[in-house]
Amino acid sequence: MLTKNNSPVSKLVETLDGLAEAQAWRERRHLLDTRPLSLDEITVCLALANYYKHNQFHKKPPQTILSATTVATLFYENSTRTRTSFDLAARKLGATVVNLDVNTSSAAKGESLEDTALNLWAMGVNAIVMRHSQSGAPVDLASAVGDKIHVINAGDGWHAHPSQGLLDLYTILESLGELPSFAASGSSGKIEKRLCENTLKGKKIAIVGDITHSRVARSNLWLLKKLGAEVHMAGPPALVPETFADPEMGAVVHHRLEAAIKNANFIICLRLQLERQAQGLIAGLDEYRKQYRLDHDRIRLAASSVRILHPGPINRGVEITDALAEDPIISCILTQVENGILSRMAVLTLLLNHQNSYQLNLPNLTQAAL
Amino acid sequence: MLIKNCQPCDPNFKGDKKAELCDIRIDNGIISAIEKCGKLVIKDSETVFDGENLWLLPGFIDLHTHLRDLGQSAKEDVATGTLAAASGGYTTVVAMANTVPPIDNAAIFTKLLQIIKEKALIEVLPIACVTQNMAGSELTEMAILSQLGAVAFSDDGLPLSNLAVMRRALEQSKALGSLIVSHPEDKDLSGAGTMNESVYATAKGLAGVTTASEAACIAREIEVVRVTGAALHFAHVSASASIKLIERAKADGLPVTCDTTPHHLTLTDSEIPGYDANFKMNPPLRSKHDQDALVQALKSGVIDAIATDHAPHTMAEKEKGFNGAPCGVIGLETAFALCLERLAGESLPATERLSLLEVVRKFTTAPARILGITEPNLKVGAAANLSLFDPADHWCYNARKATSKSENSPFNGRMIKGRTVLTLWGGKVAYQHEPATSRWLAIEGLALK
Repeated sequence: MLTKNNSPVSKLVETLDGLAEAQAWRERRHLLDTRPLSLDEITVCLALANYYKHNQFHKKPPQTILSATTVATLFYENSTRTRTSFDLAARKLGATVVNLDVNTSSAAKGESLEDTALNLWAMGVNAIVMRHSQSGAPVDLASAVGDKIHVINAGDGWHAHPSQGLLDLYTILESLGELPSFAASGSSGKIEKRLCENTLKGKKIAIVGDITHSRVARSNLWLLKKLGAEVHMAGPPALVPETFADPEMGAVVHHRLEAAIKNANFIICLRLQLERQAQGLIAGLDEYRKQYRLDHDRIRLAASSVRILHPGPINRGVEITDALAEDPIISCILTQVENGILSRMAVLTLLLNHQNSYQLNLPNLTQAAL
Repeated sequence: MLIKNCQPCDPNFKGDKKAELCDIRIDNGIISAIEKCGKLVIKDSETVFDGENLWLLPGFIDLHTHLRDLGQSAKEDVATGTLAAASGGYTTVVAMANTVPPIDNAAIFTKLLQIIKEKALIEVLPIACVTQNMAGSELTEMAILSQLGAVAFSDDGLPLSNLAVMRRALEQSKALGSLIVSHPEDKDLSGAGTMNESVYATAKGLAGVTTASEAACIAREIEVVRVTGAALHFAHVSASASIKLIERAKADGLPVTCDTTPHHLTLTDSEIPGYDANFKMNPPLRSKHDQDALVQALKSGVIDAIATDHAPHTMAEKEKGFNGAPCGVIGLETAFALCLERLAGESLPATERLSLLEVVRKFTTAPARILGITEPNLKVGAAANLSLFDPADHWCYNARKATSKSENSPFNGRMIKGRTVLTLWGGKVAYQHEPATSRWLAIEGLALK
């Protein structure tokens, strides 16, 4: 029964091998940042996530696509959502998953990241999903041992959180009915609907909050700009540096919320780390609430169809009101969480599928021999 | 010793035309004769070096070298550091005092002098700390340290944030006829920054260091110079805003001087590959706009000298990620060749270019003047602190195989035009590039060719 369940998706995944867009992911080997992703790579990733969602694979028993693959999650910084999401995504594809507890592992004894990775590799681990407080840590790791092991960045310092960028983009495109997809036959592996540089043309997307320290804002920005969106940012001056307005980054920077969210189609609300006050970057939470907290009243300035995203975890009542965060129509927060698993399933498939393509065929061969 | 047929590059040469090829004789560590090529007859039992197609340069003086040693000899020691210097054409380095332990009392200073005597291949002029333990509050015994031979005073990377302490230090150094070297930085403004504050830092997710961190400190300290009249040297100036302040202070007649580094002249914040910590230093690599201002200021004379800030660190330290790695890069081996190409090369419009001798002065007479020591020259009677430079050699710099104990250079793998082939300190060979051994025509009268 399970085999039958698996057959269409396995077929699709097999045909992915012949797809130029998927080939680009295999050559990339790692997902470190959204900035270098091409429109084709984004297209195939989101089309695959779309396909998985359409078939509800995240709610079914595990597939066998990555059954010969071992994925390790290595989190040097706390996380619930992202780690669980990657864990589930890998398991639903049939991978073996090991979650390393960094506090009790050798890292606590001072083992270098590179040595940890090499040890994991020696144990047969194919990919490391890592989070680190230092910007660039996964980039350095990939350049050191990337020929042996795939590195998937689950958030590094202020630099990048590419899977969050992809799931946010998925959520935005889904809400607009603009998701890329494979041809109707489903298993042919041909992309029918593509993304282009005008897909989000004319759409205004506001990112509100602590942009300075946000890897999510950066990973969102690269993707949204690539698809032609107009990205506006708002927050206190210390948390929204002018450098984001440089043509190299391409955002419009505001220090008043109203200008940023006016006529916005989407608002991405970021978590305000409470320690920013102690660091002297904001005067106080009350002032922050007064100037930047999103509520039903304020978002009337936005487009009537506006949708709110938040990468979580939410500081309820600080950056967004309870009522808005829970609004069943306007808030996409829980949809983002669901799409997170699907986007990560797509990323893992594209990066790791080739690892065991020959193993995938093994059962068939055996059956034929019998 | 006789060096034949070389092209003299004398910083004191005034003519427009190239000086004529020369032969130069060295006896007892002193230049005993320098004549037009072919005029000096080889003596019996003389050592002869063929200088054909080589430039003869006075030995360079580096105002800012971290020789490490003592508790940090894994990074560099006096022997390897001075060899690295000699391989870049230097015959004098000023050793920074922020060692472990710091050079803040007579006992440690005396110990350092002993190490230098035992291990140095060239002249080492030690700096002593301004404050005890570089804590920024109590002055060191500057008078005693000065008598022992401290060439200047500096807490380098730990700038004096208390201007009252700076004032006392300046007054004391003026009374001693000495010099304070300032590492101009406002640590609060720098914050947790690790590279220049710019869109490149933002894109990498790294905290930035604003140029105001350097310029604000310079502005404050200039005003203390104004009331004390004491000499103050600003090290490794990196920002356009700083140049404007120093230019005005000089116009006001204040005794301020400054240097910049080869890496600030040749690299910008946009050129940092990924998170390579071999591009991390303090001050950080700045913008193209800042770099252009540095080049102009060298030409106009606002920037007096070029100093390396040679700062060796081990690979293990530099591999701790961009945020975790210590600041600093090595530079002695590559400084002159890189600066020559950058400042006198064809990448600059002819009107903005420096002449060869203008570049040489930034490495020789200018630092000597700042320190108040004998200016290097190529005259009879001068110390034979010399180097021979092959301007035509086009070579790939391999930091791992080079002379410094450390390899933390942003120029690793770079093609470099020109290299030092022989360095003499007091007439003795401090360094020679292996292929140059074939240029020895005779050793003590024994003809090799």
